[in-house]
Order: sequence, then structure tokens, then C-alpha cells
Amino acid sequence: MATNRWLATGNFFSSYREEQRIFFTALDRSALLASLCLLVLWPLLVTIDGKYMLVIDTILVAVVAVLGLNLVTGFAGLISIGHAAFVGIGAYTVASFARLLGENHVVLTHAWPLLILLGGLVGAAFGALVGLPAMRLKHLYLAIATLSFQMIFQWVINFMDFFNQGQTISVGRVVWPGGTVTRGQHYLFWYYVILTVIVVLAFAVRNLLRTRYGRCLIAVRDNDRAADAMGMHPGLTKVYAFALAGFFAGVAGGLQAYLYRGVGIESFTLHHSINYLAMAIVGGLGTLHGAFWGPAAIKALDLLVEGFSAWVGEMLTISGNLATAFKPLSFGLVIVLFLMFEPRGIANWWRIARSYVKQWPFRY
Amino acid sequence: MSYFLQLVVSGIVVGSIYALSALGFVLIYKSSRVLNIAHGQIIASGAFITYSLTVWMGIPLVLSFALGLCITFFLAMSVERIFLRRLIGEPIISVIMVTIGLMSILDGIIYLTPFGTENFSFPPFLPTTPLVFSGVSVSWTQLVGVALTAAMIGGLSWFFRRSTMGIAMRAVADDQMAAMSIGISIPKVFGLAWALAGMSAAAAGALIGNITGLNFDTLHAFGITVFPVVILGGLDSILGAVVAGIIMGLIQQFAAGYLDGSWGLSSTGEIMPYLILLVILLFKPHGLFGIHEIERV
Amino acid sequence: MKGNRLQVAALAVALLVPALGGQCLAAGKVHKLGLSLAITGPTSDAGNPYAKGVEDYFRLVNDTDMLGEDTIDCMIRDDQYNNDITKRNFEDFLSEDIIFFLGYSTGSTLALKKDFEEEGIAVMPASFHAGNTADSNYVFLPIASYSAQLVGLGEYLAAAHREGVPKVALFVHPSVFGRGPVEDLQKAIKAGLKLDIVEVVEHGKDLDNTAMLKRLMSKGVQYVLTHTVQSPVASMLKDASGLGLAATSFGEPGKLTFLGCHYTGGNDLVALAGDAAENFNWVTSYIVTNEPGPGATAQLQLAERYGRDDKAANSHNYANGMMVAQVVTELIKRAKAGGGDVTREAMHRELLAMNGDRAFSPGTTVGPVTFSATDKAGVDTLQLYVVKDGLFHSSGQPFTPVYTDKIK
Repeated sequence: MATNRWLATGNFFSSYREEQRIFFTALDRSALLASLCLLVLWPLLVTIDGKYMLVIDTILVAVVAVLGLNLVTGFAGLISIGHAAFVGIGAYTVASFARLLGENHVVLTHAWPLLILLGGLVGAAFGALVGLPAMRLKHLYLAIATLSFQMIFQWVINFMDFFNQGQTISVGRVVWPGGTVTRGQHYLFWYYVILTVIVVLAFAVRNLLRTRYGRCLIAVRDNDRAADAMGMHPGLTKVYAFALAGFFAGVAGGLQAYLYRGVGIESFTLHHSINYLAMAIVGGLGTLHGAFWGPAAIKALDLLVEGFSAWVGEMLTISGNLATAFKPLSFGLVIVLFLMFEPRGIANWWRIARSYVKQWPFRY
Repeated sequence: MSYFLQLVVSGIVVGSIYALSALGFVLIYKSSRVLNIAHGQIIASGAFITYSLTVWMGIPLVLSFALGLCITFFLAMSVERIFLRRLIGEPIISVIMVTIGLMSILDGIIYLTPFGTENFSFPPFLPTTPLVFSGVSVSWTQLVGVALTAAMIGGLSWFFRRSTMGIAMRAVADDQMAAMSIGISIPKVFGLAWALAGMSAAAAGALIGNITGLNFDTLHAFGITVFPVVILGGLDSILGAVVAGIIMGLIQQFAAGYLDGSWGLSSTGEIMPYLILLVILLFKPHGLFGIHEIERV
Repeated sequence: MKGNRLQVAALAVALLVPALGGQCLAAGKVHKLGLSLAITGPTSDAGNPYAKGVEDYFRLVNDTDMLGEDTIDCMIRDDQYNNDITKRNFEDFLSEDIIFFLGYSTGSTLALKKDFEEEGIAVMPASFHAGNTADSNYVFLPIASYSAQLVGLGEYLAAAHREGVPKVALFVHPSVFGRGPVEDLQKAIKAGLKLDIVEVVEHGKDLDNTAMLKRLMSKGVQYVLTHTVQSPVASMLKDASGLGLAATSFGEPGKLTFLGCHYTGGNDLVALAGDAAENFNWVTSYIVTNEPGPGATAQLQLAERYGRDDKAANSHNYANGMMVAQVVTELIKRAKAGGGDVTREAMHRELLAMNGDRAFSPGTTVGPVTFSATDKAGVDTLQLYVVKDGLFHSSGQPFTPVYTDKIK
């Protein structure tokens, strides 16, 4: 059968190899390329305020972290309420170099890609360590184990002089072939760096899911006894899922350390872990692009609510107390409403839209 | 020796408050297998409701305490009805996230009231001079706290042993299918479990509020503090919650009493529960009294 | 699919611009300021009245034409005690061209110090952490630093204690905010201050402080210097008075006398601790509203004018916010009088010149506000207050700690 390279109205796979392609149609590929071009080019065409650039960069960092959380929670089905601690480990890896060598040492300013990678590796090591109880624990107990890791992480950072007792450790400005990144270029520069990292990591995840290691994760999530019977090792798979998540989180942490030019414990608390989980859920657990929607949606919600509160505050001239209550209220409502009415997250809307386009003009 | 005894006594006092806080948590988990992250917010609401009844409405403390329990009873019941009823049978992560969402919503609501940001203190209703037995002193508030905890736990265990509804709840906890087949209404049981949990949380909140003063940050932190306690005791054991609460109280007091101030350590009482939590999770995840239903993988 | 983030951002921009843009249509010049603080979240019990103080005073400035035609537009944002949000707010303020930044927490001030330096913008945080001003030309503390407060308490104690060297314990917040001044007090002791620090306690969220109090008693401690927020102090005071360990007069032998820095005291402490707060000694540079005076009247009138409740009106954090707003208004006034535009540089210059006969007395503090290139703390004088019948009453005259200079 001659296949249409641009449109596929149904599933006509006749071999596994076909099903494992990265792009099912040329349209998919072109759309991705086009949106990538757009993402690279738009900052050259429009300039926006530092605040929004910072917000966009923060969203991108969160995307990296949520990609990892999605691997462990979405694909492998292991609930982690300590993801911010892993992000923190990446950030504190960079910070400990700053502590040891001084914030403007050449290692920090020149070898920053290596340090970020190292952050990821240290994150992976801790991920595996925390994943160890997963060999014995399931579900709730595992969730609580990650929670206690989060609490212990916070205590250790707060207690140790080496980590400045949780107070900000500065990280210097980086140097790249074009010279030192100045204040004006800072957010734009990191926008491109983080974007590159995301593209690389997203492809890595996409590819991982095509391999047996990726399918292993899903098999263990869906039924670990069956996976065991098929010859997989569920325990090791879980540890490895945590290590992967740790790696992504660590990289996100390293990026965050450089983006914010400092590392302090306030960015890695339980509250942030919960935020990452919310992003993963709102985006859509167990989907690759859910990791993009979630952070964007949650951060945008934050901004919208802030604007809205300011507006309400002005209209009613009441104390800030009422206006700022909207933030947790809306955050909670969004989570609850999503879980009740769209548990598959924004990714599901995307799926619906896609299948509509795919089948247009037919209804099914 | 009197120092040691004092630590034991304070440990028991603190522990019984932990036990009371953990009780509600266990009740919910036992009947509906929901991990309620918003428990701290319910504790705080209980304290605030009792306070506003006492001070703003001028109702005598004892009466407003009882009234506060009633209000949280129905509050928690409606929370279950609105938020959790729909999620019966959903994956565990959804249920956890819903309670997280609930936590945020309650946070938001509390921030709408003065309690979100201001500090209050209950009017003193007990003598402030402590009771002293051979060098060991206990304040009246603490004594009442222990008595109240004992009464709550006694009442609940009577309820579960003797009353029809209590037995129905135990049946649901044991085997939902079987319970349904003999005509027990599962939603009703879940609602009641939440209601009872809300009630015990409110009692805990009012007590903590009396001891530390009403500060939202301090109060809702108890939602997290109960985790080590319930894990130590076993997530589904009421007896476990009580014993583990007291053990945890003692450990904290001993850590604070003997470890702090030596070897440059401080606030070890804060982290001790979590270290114990990790050890328990690794070696005895079902806790001291929990039902051994952990699957090894 | 990634393009969607951009759309969301664009949408956010589109929705926010009208909300922010509507404010700058008044006649005369508009001087933009930014305040980012914790109105909700941790420490919001202090941040909330602080924000009200700032907001009300600037409203008064605009309503009574204090700057003539010119008006002040102070954007107030909640950062929930989260440094990342503070940073975002700061970037936002920068794009609005603010001329002065009002900060808040120790954490965010330290985290953004580099940015302040690069932007050359003067900053006044609500945190009096001495470390805020280290290696920085642009951070200015409204009143004496925590270190100076703690040392001041130490000096007061050493002078008031009758025989021998007083044995003290420090009860501090488990963070740099709490730990910072401890070192400075130790330095002061090395420099000759007669004090014996027996133990430094970092508190947690303890329900019961019996163990700690008894341990301190057994070590012969007579004074507890606290530097943290109200809630832990309140629960300790309650336990101490419950155990009968709290002194009923200053330095009563065999009992514990409690003293504390700025954020331990105020009406919030009384609200939390009730009767147990009696005889607590508190040091700050602000006046209290229950003692009549021009500052107290001004504070109460301001709160009344804008319909604040009693709690906010009498809060020392309301005074704190009001005083910072007063200083900033004065800076703008002086920068205008000096001719030229009111810019960041002008504000910074006026701050550095605020000394000698150009010192500023806002009335809400117990001494004048002085700044210079070497003096980064505004009000250097401190006042000791003691709680009697649920109210803070001043005890003795305002004083300036002498050891702060010796340990520099």
C-alpha cells in the first residue's frame, strides 16, 4: 500500500520498526522543525522585559525537571514527593564548586557545561540511592520515603556550614566564546542554553521510550509481576528510573544555579516538589509533551493570578490579604479540577486536537 | 534523675498530641486508603474555628471546643463528598494530588481570614501555675491535653468495637467488596471516616493552639510531622498511632534533652523523626502495628 | 508544541499590561518604587503590617501633596518569602524603571545583592542582618543591625547584672538570619564585653521546651537572649512561666530573664504568649504606640486615616514599613530640592549624605536616621522595652551599643 508521507489517517504499521519511528509522518517532522525554528528565532525579532524572559527561562528549567519527574512518576509509576531535593542536589553540586574555589573561579565561569552535566550525574547517583528503598517499597510507602528524603535534604543543607546553611551561595557570570555574559544578555543567553538542553533531553527521552529500557519502565508501571515474569527486574528498573529522574533534576538544578546566579535552599523546598508534581499532572503524566505544557500552564497561572489579584485589589481597594489568597486557592483549584475532569492533563487536549486534524474532514 | 523524668513526662505530653494529630490521618487511611496531605490545614482550621467561636462569639471555651469539633466534623465530611468521592478507584497519585490541591485551597481560604497572617492566643482558662511532683512539672494545659487525647482515643475505640457503624467501618477497611455485599454503604463509611478524622484533627488543633498560640505556619506544619508517626505506628493502626505518637514524643524530647548542645548539634529533635522514618521504611515498612500487606518486588 | 509556551507568555503579557499600565496618568512626575515582601507565607505576620505601613504612608504622600505635583507609585508584590519570586518581582520593577527598591527577607537580599550592585540601585530591606551590607554599596538597613541589637542587649545585660559575669544562653532561628549575629556577639565578648555564653540553642518547631529550659537551668543560665520570630519565643515563654522558671523582675536569681531583638517582640508576642509575655525585654529602634508622643500619634493617625484595624495600627512592623516609606519620601524630597532629576544615582547620593545636620528624624524611631559610606544602618540608637500588663513600656533611655564599633 502506498503510504501518504504527509498524512496518516490511521494505524497502518506493518512492522515494529515502523511503529518505533520518531516521526510518524513528514507533517510531524516539519511541524516540530518549524516550532523549533520559531523558538530559536523569536527572541531575535521581539525584545521583552527581563521579568518575562526570566519567567520563560524558569519555565524551561522546570521543563527539564518535569521531564525527569515524568519519567519516574509518569512512565514508571513511582510517586516522588522529593523531586525538588534532586534539583537542589544538582544546584548544590555547582554551588559547592563555588564554595570551594570562589564564585568567579575559572572552572565555574568557563567549564560550566561540564559542571551542569556533573550536577546531573550527582543527581543521578542520589536518585539511585533514594531509589534503593523502591526495591522493597511500593506506592504510598515509596512516596513517603521520597518525602523523608526531601526533609533530610533540607535539614542537611540548613545545618552544614559548607552549604552556607541554606543561605544563597553566589555563582559567577559565565564566559562563552563571545566573551563574558553581561547582565543584559544573561536571560537570553540562558534561554538558548536551556532550550538546547531541552531539545537534547527530549530527544533522549523519546529515544529511550523506543528502546527496551524505556518499555521496561512502562511494563513495570502497568504490572510489575507480569514484568517480572517476562524476565525484567522490577526492582532494578525502579532504581534506574529514579537515577534517570535524578539526572534530569540535577541538570535542571545546575541550570537554575547559573540562571539565578546563586543557590539557596528556599528554591528546593517541599513546596517546590509539590509544584513539580502539579506541573507533571496538569501537563499529563506519562506523555512526553506533557512535560512542556505543565510548567508553562502552572507558571502562567501564577502570573495571571498575580495580575488578577493586583487588579481586584485596585478595584476594591482592600488589603493585600484578600488578593494574595487567590494564589494558593487557584493553584489548588486547578489541580483538583484537572484531576476530576481531565486526569490525563493538557496533553490529552493536544491528543484530541491532533486526532481531529489527522482525520479531518472525517469524523472518525 | 528528675531531668530524665521531666523529659519522660514532656515526651508523653508532646507524644499524646502527636497521637491525636496522627489519629485522624490513620482513620482516613484505614477506611479509604487515602493519604491526606491536607491534614495540617484541617488541624489549623479546627484551631481557628474554636478560637473564633470563643473570642469573637463569646461562647465559653468548653462549649466552643465541642461546637468546633461538630463544625469540623461536617466540614471534613463535605470535603470528602465534594473532592474525594469522585476519585474512588482512581490511581493513587491522583488521590495524593487531590489532597495536595485541597491543601492549597484550604491555605487560600485561611489566607482570606485574619488567621492566615496574624497571631492569636487563646484566653487562659486554666491555672497557670504548674503541678509539681518531686521536681517534675506539668502544666494544666498539658494535663488537659493528655486527658483529652485519652478520652478521644477511648471514645473512638469504643465506637469501633461496639457500635454498628464502627463495626461497619472496620468491615470496609478489611474488605470493601465483602462489606458492600452485606449492604454497607461505602460512601457513607468514607464520609464518616473523614468526619471523625476532621473532629480529632480539630481537637488536636485546639490543643496545639492552646500550647503554642495560634500561628498558621506552626499549626499546618503538623500535617507533615504526622508522617513519621503514622509510618512508625503503621498506616492503618489506631493503636499504632497512639504508641508511635508517644514514642516519637519521647525520642524528640530525649534528642533535644541529651543531644542538643553537645557536639555542636542543634534541633536534632526536628530531624530525628525523619531519620527514624527512613530506617523504618527500609526495614519494617508496615510499621509496628500495621497490617503486613507490603508486597516485595 | 513548544511554541505554546510563547503564546502563553504573550497572553500573560497581554493580560498584565492593562493591569499595570493604568496607574501612571497623574500630573507631575511619578516616582516609581518597588516593594517585594512576604504578605503571605512564612513571616507574613510581620510582612503584612509592614506592607500596610508602606502603602498607607505613600498614599498619604500622594493625598496630601507632600511632594507637590509629584506622586509616588510604589508597586507592592507578594513574594511568599520565596527568593525566586523576589527576583522576578525585581526584574519586573526594573523594567518599570524604579528608582529605589524596598526589600524584605535576609535570604532575598543576599540572593539579589549582586543584582543591586550591577544595577546601581539603593535598597532598604526589612531584614536588619549585618551581612546584608557586607561587600555591597547599595544595601542600607533602616535601623541598627541584628548584631548591634544583640550586642546592645548584651551590653545592657552586663551593666544591669549585679554580681559576677552573667551567664547567658542564645535562642536563635535556625538560619543565617538567626545565626549571623551570634558570631558578632562572640566577637564583642572577645573584645571585652563581660558575658558568658553557655549555650547557643537553635530552635525547631518544638511543642515543648521543657527539656531545653531545664537543661539551661542546670547549666546555671540566668538570661536567655532570643533572636528569632515571635512564635517560638512565645511557646518558650509559655513553657517557662508554666514551669515557674520565668523571672518576675530583671535578673531575678534562680530564674530565667528573657530578652529579644526586633522580630521577637511587639504586640504579636503578647498576642501569642498572653500573660507569659510579662517581663519580656525587647530591644528595637522603633517607638511603641502605647507611649504617647509625636511618632505614636502620627502612626495611629495614618492607620486610622486608611481604615486599618487596631492590630495593624499598633504593630511595630507597621511602624517599620511607615518609617522606611518616610525615609524614601525624604530622599525624593531632598533629591528634588538639590535640583536635577530624581534618579537612582540621586537617591543613592542623598542616602550617603544623610548624616550630620542632614540626619533625618522620622518620629517613628527613637533616634535620627543617619547613613554614610561607612554607616549602612539608619537608626543607631536602641530602646529597651519591658512588657507590663500586656503592653511594652520603655525602660531607661535610648542607648547606642559601644561594642559594635570595636568589633568591626
